Amino acid sequence: METTGRSVQRPSLLVGWIGLLSVVILAGVVAGGIVFKEGLKVTNLTDLVPWGLWITLDLSSIALAAGAFSLCAAVYLIGLKEFAPVARTATFIGFIGYSMAMLCLLMDIGRPDRFWHGFVFWNPHSVLWEVTMCVGLYFSVLTLEVLPIIGRTKWMYRAFPWVAERLTGLHHYAPILAMFGLGLSLLHQSSLGGTYGVLQARPAWYRPNLSVLFVYSAVIGGIALTIFVSMLAARLTTRARVDDSLLERLSYFLGWALLGYLYFRFWDTLAMTYTYQPGRTEALQVLTRGSLAINFWVGEILLGMIFPVFVLLRSSLRNNPFMRMLALGAIVLGVVAYRWDTTMLGQLVVLTYLPNEIVARYTSYVPSLVEIVSSAGVVAYGLLAVTVGVRFLGVVDHRAEAEHAEAPLEREAHSMRPEIAGAD
Amino acid sequence: MGKQGLERRSFLKVLSAGAAALLGLWPRNRGQASDHEGVSEHSWVMVIDQDRCIGCGYCTLACQAHNDAPPNIQWNRVIKAGKVGDSDIYLPRPCMHCDHAPCVSVCPVKASYKRADGIVMMDYDRCIGCRYCEVACPYGARAFNWDEFVGENPLVPEWGIPEVPRRPRGVVEKCSFCYHRIDRGLAVGLKPGEAISATPACVVVCPVSARVFGDFNDPDCQVTRLLAANPYYRLREDMGTRPRVYYLPARRAETW
Repeated sequence: METTGRSVQRPSLLVGWIGLLSVVILAGVVAGGIVFKEGLKVTNLTDLVPWGLWITLDLSSIALAAGAFSLCAAVYLIGLKEFAPVARTATFIGFIGYSMAMLCLLMDIGRPDRFWHGFVFWNPHSVLWEVTMCVGLYFSVLTLEVLPIIGRTKWMYRAFPWVAERLTGLHHYAPILAMFGLGLSLLHQSSLGGTYGVLQARPAWYRPNLSVLFVYSAVIGGIALTIFVSMLAARLTTRARVDDSLLERLSYFLGWALLGYLYFRFWDTLAMTYTYQPGRTEALQVLTRGSLAINFWVGEILLGMIFPVFVLLRSSLRNNPFMRMLALGAIVLGVVAYRWDTTMLGQLVVLTYLPNEIVARYTSYVPSLVEIVSSAGVVAYGLLAVTVGVRFLGVVDHRAEAEHAEAPLEREAHSMRPEIAGAD
Repeated sequence: MGKQGLERRSFLKVLSAGAAALLGLWPRNRGQASDHEGVSEHSWVMVIDQDRCIGCGYCTLACQAHNDAPPNIQWNRVIKAGKVGDSDIYLPRPCMHCDHAPCVSVCPVKASYKRADGIVMMDYDRCIGCRYCEVACPYGARAFNWDEFVGENPLVPEWGIPEVPRRPRGVVEKCSFCYHRIDRGLAVGLKPGEAISATPACVVVCPVSARVFGDFNDPDCQVTRLLAANPYYRLREDMGTRPRVYYLPARRAETW
């Protein structure tokens, strides 16, 4: 490629970054191999705490992928067309996020060879079945949404012009895909909270709020990650171009949305303080002054909500790129902290079933080295995929014409379908 | 704008068509998760008399041998449950075989399912090992095979001979009310609960006859008569799970 030398701003930085990620991925592959070979005995999971780090990473990846459906819905269903290029970035990040989640789940289920059972043996009563179906279907939607991005690359047009044209043509169906994506995402993003919320045996989880909080925090976290990645990419490489007025408006919206999240989370927690309920009250203590307290107060509330609300709602701070990125990163961390707290909360406190003695017992869980390394590998894979997307697929290109015309490419690729250029 | 409006309308059409198509695909004849699959004239229940239980733990061992469970997995645990007077009270805990079983509702692949005779079954060939049922069960009755069970079962043959295949690594298992003994017994005309070889191993081995097993649909059955004549309770009845294991509470130490 003749453009390589010209466009890479800091090749040594890129090479170092990819090298680092490759090492972590390699370690993760080794750890994953150990998991598949030895089974789940290599984890620190138990029959009392059967879900741990992998589930948290799975939930976080899916939550932070939610920028895709939120922004696609905003663009194609609400009609905020100017955000289309940002939605493109979000779609790519979403695609990577879901693939990360599936990697985690593959390690986490005891029989990875039976991952397809959910699609064949239906139990429509199970929230987890619904999640399985929705995630599977939505991943297909995301794939269809991402294919035009690959189809548009210069390399694709050179090598396989016919394929490139077909892939690019898929973009014609973006509005329909956005609609299905919205439906599927709202269903399973909330059902992931519902997975916990429907369990009467776990009083810390058993309440309807979890579904709402999960989908709400996912929309915020997903959009925050999309803006963060876009801004970071634009600072590191000339391959990424952003329209800061778009990102600034989205960040402002996030500030208000976060206020709403703070309100819901406040009531969600406060409601648990009324009257003593075995298990739930103890869990609340674990959350507010026990082992999860720092995570909750600092990770979720202070960094995840109050600090970014303060930054994003003040024009002077929001327009400071450094402060804005700090706030967006804090939102992402806050969403991950919320997923961890929620996953742990229902399992760290277990109710006994003895008659006249229904009391709470405490359990503990610290992930094993294999769990940590394999999870790090999954995260590194995600970072590498996004890096590749920014560098080679141009997923962060927010110039007004980027979404539809793809100006520099169109001159070279003569056979752009007319309806693509014309579709609005 | 006109074109856009038209497009939106057609999207809505596509949406409703898609929803209709999905509804058409919905498997109607598989029944709801809490529904019983098929029909049966039997309704198996277990009665455990805490007045009699001495906490010897034979039931745990016989269960592990007959069902070939690994040493770290006990389908049938005996728990110390306080005192009445000076004597310790025990609570043996098999699977409750709930009529509204949370594990059956949450299983994404129907690997846990309910038989018409009340038994909550595990399909080990279908289980994907997600462990949602473990999280959902209020009784801690489920165990995951974190490792493969290889080598000899230390309880065999002293406590019994395995009657079912070992479960593979990566699936969840639990007490099955020894459904294999019931089914094989019924097939040769035996009466579960009365004939030894047609009755769950834990009931057979109990040295003080603290456990009684039988058909709740049979008015002459011992379980039916016991439950008609004695006060009883079930675990966590507040949750509405409707367990099939009934406990006769310990009353006074001297009654035994």
